Amino acid sequence: MNGSQIIVGLEIGTSKVCVAVGEVSGGQAVNIIGLGQAKSRGVRKGEIIDVALAEEDVRNAIVEAEQVADVEIRSVFLGVTGSHIRGFNNTGVHPVVSADREITGDDIQDVIKNAKAINLPTDHSVVHVIRQHFRVDGQDGVLNPEGMLGAKIEVDVHVVSGRYNRLQNPIRLVNGLHLEVDDIASSALATSLAILGTEQKELGTLVIDLGAGVTEYAVYSAGVIKHTGVLAVGGDHVSNDLAYGLKVPLARAEQIKIEHGSALIDPGARDRKIDLSDDSLIPGRRVNLGHLQKIMSMRLQETFELIAKDIGQAGLIEYLRAGVVLSGGGARIPHITKLARDVFNLPVAIGRSSTVSGVKNALDEPEFATSVGLIKFGAFQAQAAPRRAGFGRVIRRQVAALFGR
Amino acid sequence: MSKPGKKPTTANPTIRLIGLGETGVKLVETLAMIAPEGVVAHSLDTDNRSLSRCHQSRTFLLGQAIPCGLGTGGDSALARAAVESDSDELAGIVDDADLVFIVAGMGGGTGTGAAPFLANLAKQAGALVVGVAATPFDCEGIQRCNQAIGGLRDLKQVADAVFHFPNQDVIQLADADLGLHRALDIANRHLCEAVLGVSRMLLEPGMLNVSFADLQSLLRDRHSLGAVVHVEATGDDRTDDAMEKLLSHPAIRGGETLKEAGSLLVNFSGAEVTMAEMNAVTSAIGDRASAARLVVGASGHGSGETLQLTVVIAHAGKLAESEQDDASLKTSPSSQASAPGYSDPFTSPRADSYLDLGSEPGSSNRGGFAYTPPAPTADALSPECRNDLIQEAAKEEPNRAKRRKIVQEMLPLEIVSKGRFENSEPTIHKGEDLDQPTYIRRGVILN
Ligand SMILES: Nc1nc2c(ncn2[C@@H]2O[C@H](COP(=O)(O)OP(=O)(O)OP(=O)(O)O)[C@@H](O)[C@H]2O)c(=O)[nH]1
Ligand SMILES: Nc1ncnc2c1ncn2[C@@H]1O[C@H](COP(=O)(O)OP(=O)(O)OP(=O)(O)O)[C@@H](O)[C@H]1O
Ligand SMILES: [Mg+2]
Ligand SMILES: [Mg+2]
Repeated sequence: MNGSQIIVGLEIGTSKVCVAVGEVSGGQAVNIIGLGQAKSRGVRKGEIIDVALAEEDVRNAIVEAEQVADVEIRSVFLGVTGSHIRGFNNTGVHPVVSADREITGDDIQDVIKNAKAINLPTDHSVVHVIRQHFRVDGQDGVLNPEGMLGAKIEVDVHVVSGRYNRLQNPIRLVNGLHLEVDDIASSALATSLAILGTEQKELGTLVIDLGAGVTEYAVYSAGVIKHTGVLAVGGDHVSNDLAYGLKVPLARAEQIKIEHGSALIDPGARDRKIDLSDDSLIPGRRVNLGHLQKIMSMRLQETFELIAKDIGQAGLIEYLRAGVVLSGGGARIPHITKLARDVFNLPVAIGRSSTVSGVKNALDEPEFATSVGLIKFGAFQAQAAPRRAGFGRVIRRQVAALFGR
Repeated sequence: MSKPGKKPTTANPTIRLIGLGETGVKLVETLAMIAPEGVVAHSLDTDNRSLSRCHQSRTFLLGQAIPCGLGTGGDSALARAAVESDSDELAGIVDDADLVFIVAGMGGGTGTGAAPFLANLAKQAGALVVGVAATPFDCEGIQRCNQAIGGLRDLKQVADAVFHFPNQDVIQLADADLGLHRALDIANRHLCEAVLGVSRMLLEPGMLNVSFADLQSLLRDRHSLGAVVHVEATGDDRTDDAMEKLLSHPAIRGGETLKEAGSLLVNFSGAEVTMAEMNAVTSAIGDRASAARLVVGASGHGSGETLQLTVVIAHAGKLAESEQDDASLKTSPSSQASAPGYSDPFTSPRADSYLDLGSEPGSSNRGGFAYTPPAPTADALSPECRNDLIQEAAKEEPNRAKRRKIVQEMLPLEIVSKGRFENSEPTIHKGEDLDQPTYIRRGVILN
């Protein structure tokens, strides 16, 4: 293929496995040429609990994507998530030793190396170290200190880490299907890559992906990633709460949620009943719409509140001048933007994969943002290491180029 | 009532760990993660919510028909009815076991009502039955404490031994403004160590092996109220350190417990336990417990420099006392007191009264309640405990309301299993279990 390259993003989600195939030409432009999907049965809370089922589902999604895009998939960029993923900030410090105090490329390498020397629990390993800003002798917000004069150089980084074994599980599964993993990326970051434009990153935005098993979030401000987090709570919890509260089977609760769900309580619906008479299991059963909305809105509100609290503790709320962007299947819930607006007191929008082109539904459906974002992630990497298509896990990642400016 | 112990085999004993009620289930879930291989864990509750949090153990909902997954709301008679209706299934669980641990918090409905019944089933199946019981804080109120005393006594009458840890001991040990969560954590650690200590001793290969037969001869049919204490120490003075920790353990009550002990089993484990160390510890314990039978074991397992010491303490002379219990129950003025599962309450919830169980017939006349009220009332509580309990009660409230409604309307009830989150790690955020419906945690009643 002359000058164009195939890059594949794979999200092994809790409700669906999604494979997005992208074509990158001319270095940057990403075009989505195919999408493969399968219902996911072996995943809970974003992590694989049944390898055999998950393997089958991933295989089916890959095969579908290959057919649609008419390519043979050999390697993928894999999204990782789960409650074990941690995001935190770290600072590296380095004294400038040269006699003339001019900061050199080596100094920059050294300070970054220092920032990477993180004291992680022994079973954790680093997923990303993303450069935020440099400081020279305490002066903030330096983008590139090379050539500046100074005695001390510091760098702030955002680190994403996870439990080694739990990161390995999906990698092993993919390898078991004779596919290579080009690299892994935090799903929260991949999603932001797909749906945030430069201006939103610059002004400050909170991205929330409302998945089935996990709710992931990331904060961008001044063009760099400031904060990431994963809550192991998602749409499955909503369904489970409804099953419990309305006393219906789980599958039925999921269906009721999609058909009648709402993030807000409509006072007019208080005493309305939904007829379940078509359900042979429960002949003539009716459930109370007011109860449904109450149960659902309490769960969703709590989820947003937990995120708001975390962002608030990180001192980032006032930096979110571009507001909140929602993605994931949960973004489809009626009135979800209104609920989020009430909790965060910020403008809220639903994210679209605006920064890429291609297959229409891949771009418009909020569920696909993670896989599409993984292609963008891959495209940056390919750009950084152009000669190594299908480069395997050992690639030296230039993440700064990616998540920074 | 019980068959003699099963004939000894060379294979490891089959150990079943059964948690009853919320406390029992919580403890068993923790234990299932760390117990040696060969211990099979079961969680049994009348409350679906607590079972839905199980990920490590086999679960069984008691009382499918009533209370149909909604808990007993403190009513031990309801729990009793539930286990009786499930007795075939329950007998299946204890069927093949050599040793059955029955773990429960006393004072609520389920643990209190179900533990004695299950112990009896296990006994009849020929197992050695060891109860592991927590009892309430004083501030939970006299009624709850009385219910706990009754449950503990009933359990003791059927089980071979009951290891008992009063939650109140934590308060007496630590500073008073310890949070409720933290206090329960400490109590739970002690309770878990009891089970772990004994199972490791039996299942891990040893140099001086403590066999199942040793344990049997120590405990079988004694109906004793005892304790298991597990301590660990490292460093040069690890024997002194271990002894110090042992003697300051709340269950040892400053050495009293050792003095009163009828028999003691001391097990060492650690990578390099020397004869000198073993001598030093056993003679130090022996000095404080002159009358006791002492069995010593040692296993070479354990990590690095750590000396682990497990002491099983069974009280003396309890064989006779259990008969006394029966007598005092019969002469009790309470009309229901002789029905199994009901207790004859004491008025004082002091921890000591647990130790005197049954041996002080006079005290049982002080009470005179005809039945055991289900839950503590707020006025009986000290202020610092009240808030915690009120919150707790708020959580229970919708539950009780629902139960009443269901009994009235006799609706068929679908039970939501832990289904979706069965094999995944529970989502605990700042101590709160987010897998539970938000509206339930917030105490919202749907009506
Ligand atoms: N050690 C310890 N004790 C506890 C814990 N939780 C509750 N308790 C004690 O155990 C007693 C019984 O409570 P539960 O186990 O919740 O009751 P239950 O057996 O589930 O009974 P019902 O819910 O009434 O059917 C309480 O009065 C507390 O004193 C715990 O985590 N650890
Ligand atoms: N219209 C709707 N109303 C309510 N919920 C919806 C709707 N559409 C989708 N959902 C929910 O969105 C969730 C699926 O979202 P998504 O596909 O983003 O999750 P996932 O990527 O599979 O999971 P995760 O990222 O958590 O592993 C499901 O819980 C589904 O019930
Ligand atoms: Mg997702
Ligand atoms: Mg309970």
